[in-house]
Amino acid sequence: MGIFSRRRKPAVDIDGLGVSLVALRLDAGDCAPVGSTVVVFNAGGHARRAPAGKVACEQGETVLCFHPGPYTVHLAPFASAPEWGLRLRFVVDAANPRVTQQRFDLYLYSEMVERLELETLRVAAQAALQMELAQGALDLPPCTTMDEWHAFRAGLNQLMYTRFGVTVDDCVPVDLGDQVDYAEVLKARAAIEAEVAAPAEASASPPRVEGAATTSEPGAGPTPTSSAQAPRTAATAGLAVQEGTAASSEPAALAALTAEQAPRTTTAAMPTAQQDAFALRRLFIELPSLASELRTLVLPDGLQIFQQHQALLLRLGMAALNVNTMPALAWAAPDQPLAPEEQASRTVQTQLAVQALDEAWALLARFQRADHAQWPALLEDADRICANLETGLAFRRAPYAPRAEPSL
Amino acid sequence: MTTLSAATVPTNAECRSILPDGRVLTITASRRPRANRAHVKCTIAGAPAIAEKMQEVVRLARHTEVRLDSRDQVVLSMDIAPGAADRDWELAAVLADRMVRGLFQPKHKGHQYAQGWSDAWQLGRVHGTVGDGAAGTQHITHLGALSGHADPSAGVSTVRAWFPLHSGGINDSLAWVEVSVFAIESAPDGQAVTSEEDTIAAPGLDLSAQQEVRQTLAGARHFDAKGLGRWRSVVRFSQPRFQGGSYQLALVMADRLARGREFVPRGRIIATGCSSAWHAGRVDTVEGRQPKLELILMQATAGDRILLPKAWEPELPPGFAAELRQRGASVACIERIGMI
Repeated sequence: MGIFSRRRKPAVDIDGLGVSLVALRLDAGDCAPVGSTVVVFNAGGHARRAPAGKVACEQGETVLCFHPGPYTVHLAPFASAPEWGLRLRFVVDAANPRVTQQRFDLYLYSEMVERLELETLRVAAQAALQMELAQGALDLPPCTTMDEWHAFRAGLNQLMYTRFGVTVDDCVPVDLGDQVDYAEVLKARAAIEAEVAAPAEASASPPRVEGAATTSEPGAGPTPTSSAQAPRTAATAGLAVQEGTAASSEPAALAALTAEQAPRTTTAAMPTAQQDAFALRRLFIELPSLASELRTLVLPDGLQIFQQHQALLLRLGMAALNVNTMPALAWAAPDQPLAPEEQASRTVQTQLAVQALDEAWALLARFQRADHAQWPALLEDADRICANLETGLAFRRAPYAPRAEPSL
Repeated sequence: MTTLSAATVPTNAECRSILPDGRVLTITASRRPRANRAHVKCTIAGAPAIAEKMQEVVRLARHTEVRLDSRDQVVLSMDIAPGAADRDWELAAVLADRMVRGLFQPKHKGHQYAQGWSDAWQLGRVHGTVGDGAAGTQHITHLGALSGHADPSAGVSTVRAWFPLHSGGINDSLAWVEVSVFAIESAPDGQAVTSEEDTIAAPGLDLSAQQEVRQTLAGARHFDAKGLGRWRSVVRFSQPRFQGGSYQLALVMADRLARGREFVPRGRIIATGCSSAWHAGRVDTVEGRQPKLELILMQATAGDRILLPKAWEPELPPGFAAELRQRGASVACIERIGMI
C-alpha cells in the first residue's frame, strides 16, 4: 500500500511551475499542484493524461506533471542581430482527441531530463527557429511586409506545434535592447581577440609554411570563440571525424567546436556515454512517430510523388531498425573496450543523426502547410535529411578499424 | 520555398588563383554521388601533401555552413601544383567547393579569381580578395562578407549593403556601402562625445558628401531608440565619386544590421531610396526607376533582399517580383524602415 512510506518522503520541489518551470517528474505519492496536468507513461511508453491531484500509478509507470501556461519567452531569430527579437507567448493545449499520441507528451517523454525548465525549452525553440531561418525554410527579412510576416507566423506556429507540441498564442517583434547590449558583446570579443593575437604574433608571422600539416594551427588551439559564432551545428561538427584520414590539426579544431557549442543542448553536461544513450533513445522513440505522422499527410496526385513518399517512409523505417539494433558504444569487439576518443567520435555521429531528426520534424511542419506545387522541393529536402540520418547511423555503427599508416 | 532546386546547381565549377610567380592556377570542383566515399576528395598530380592540405582546408571551411548534405562527394583538383610554401590558393579551393554545391554564385560573368589564406577556416576568417581578376576585386576578411554579413567573432561589426548606381546604361553597376561600428570605450555621459555626427567618419568622400552621410546616419539612429551615443562608426563606399542620395537607404540598413538591430537577410541587401526625414524613419522615392530595376533584376541572386521606395510599387514591371522570387530573392516596397 505504501501508506507509511509516503510520510518520510520529502515533498517534490514545484517552485515556479507554470512560470519558469514547465514540467517535472513526480513519484508515486507526490501531489500534483492545482492547475497542472498529470501525464502517466506506462512501461510501453503509451501516455495517458490525468487531472491534478495525488499521483497514483502502477509498477513501471513514469509520471510527469506539466503546467499548461501561458509562458512568455524572448527569442533572438538571428545570432548576429541579438538586439532584435520576438516575444513569443505559448500554451500547452488541451489534449487533441483526434490523435493517439499528443506531441507534447512525446516531447516530454523523449527529451526531458527530470525537469523541463522554461529556459531549456526557450533555447531549443530558438535553435530550431534559427536553423529554419538560416536554411531558408522560413523567411524573416529586414523590413518585413505584412504578407511576409503572416507567412512567417503561420510557419512558426506550425513549427512550434510539430516540433515541441506547444501552441503559439501570440508573437510580436520586440526590441531586446534592454536585455542584450551588443556594444558590450563586441567589446568582449575585442578583448578576446587582443588576448589571442598577442601570443600568435610572438610565435610566427602569419603566412608560414606548413609542410605535412604537422604543426597545430594557432587559431585552433586557444579558442577565440567564446561568444556568438558563425552558424554552426552539431551536424557540421561531425563532418571532420567521419572521414578517417583527418589531419592532425583537425581534431583540435573540432574539440574547440564541440566545447563551444555545448551550452546549446540539454545534454551538454552529460558524459559521452550518456549523451549517446540519450540521443539513441530519442531516435528510438521519435522515428516511428515521425514516420506515422508523415504517413498521414494528404498526398498530391501523381505516381511519382507517391513512390517518393513510399521510399521516404521505407527509409525512415530502415533507420528505425538501424537504431534498434545499434551495437554498444563502449566495445570495439567482444572483450576489447574502445578508447574514449573513439567513443566520442561515435557519439558525434549519433548527434549528427539527431540533428537530422530535428530537421525532419521541421520538415514535417513544412509538409503539413505545403500546397501541392511545393511537394517536389520538400521531397528533395527529405531525401537530403534521410541521407544525413543514414550517414550518421552508418558511421556510428561502423566497426572499429585501428588507424593504419599509409603504405606504398 | 527558397531552397535551390537541383537544376540550378552546376556539376562542375572552376575558381582561379594567381601564384606568386605569375602562373594562373585553376581549381576545378566536380560533384558526384557520394556512394559511401569521403565527402571531399582532392587530387593533384605529383603533390599529395598539397592535396591533403586542400582537403583539410575545405573540410574546416564547411563548418561555417548551416546546411549539411551528405549525398554528394566533391572532387577538387588543381591543374598545376603550387609551391609548398604558398597558401594563397586556399580561398579558391573553398570557393570552388561552394560554387559546385550552389552555395556561392559569382557576382559577375567570366572567370572567378580568388586569393586568400586563413589559419582559422572553421571560423570562416580569411585574408583575401575575390573578383574577376581585373577590376572589381573585393577584399574580404570573413567568408560571410561575400554577402555583406558581419563576422560573428570579430570585435568590429562590419556590414555591407548594395545600391544600384545608374551611370548611363552600359556602366550601370551595383555599388556597395560598408558600415563598421565598434563600441565607444568611454562612458557616453562624459563630455568627450559631443554629438553623434562626430563619431561617424567617412574617409575618402568630399566634405559635402561626408556631411550628408553623417546627417543621414545620425537621423536614422535618432529614429532607433537605442542608436545614439554607443558607437564609433566608419563608412566606406566602393567608389567615392557619385551624385545623388539614393545610397541613403542602403547606408541606413547596413548601419542597422551592423548594430545588430535588424533581421538579417540570407544573402545581400540591395536597397535604393532616400529621405528628407530619417529621424521619422520615412523612405522617399528616388529617380532612375527603370534602369535601376533592370539592373537589380539582372544582378540579384538567391537569398538577396531588395528594398525599394513605396512609390515604386504600382509602377513595378509585371512579373518583377515573381521573377525575383523564382531566383530565391525577395522584394519589398517600403515607406518606413523598421518592422512592418
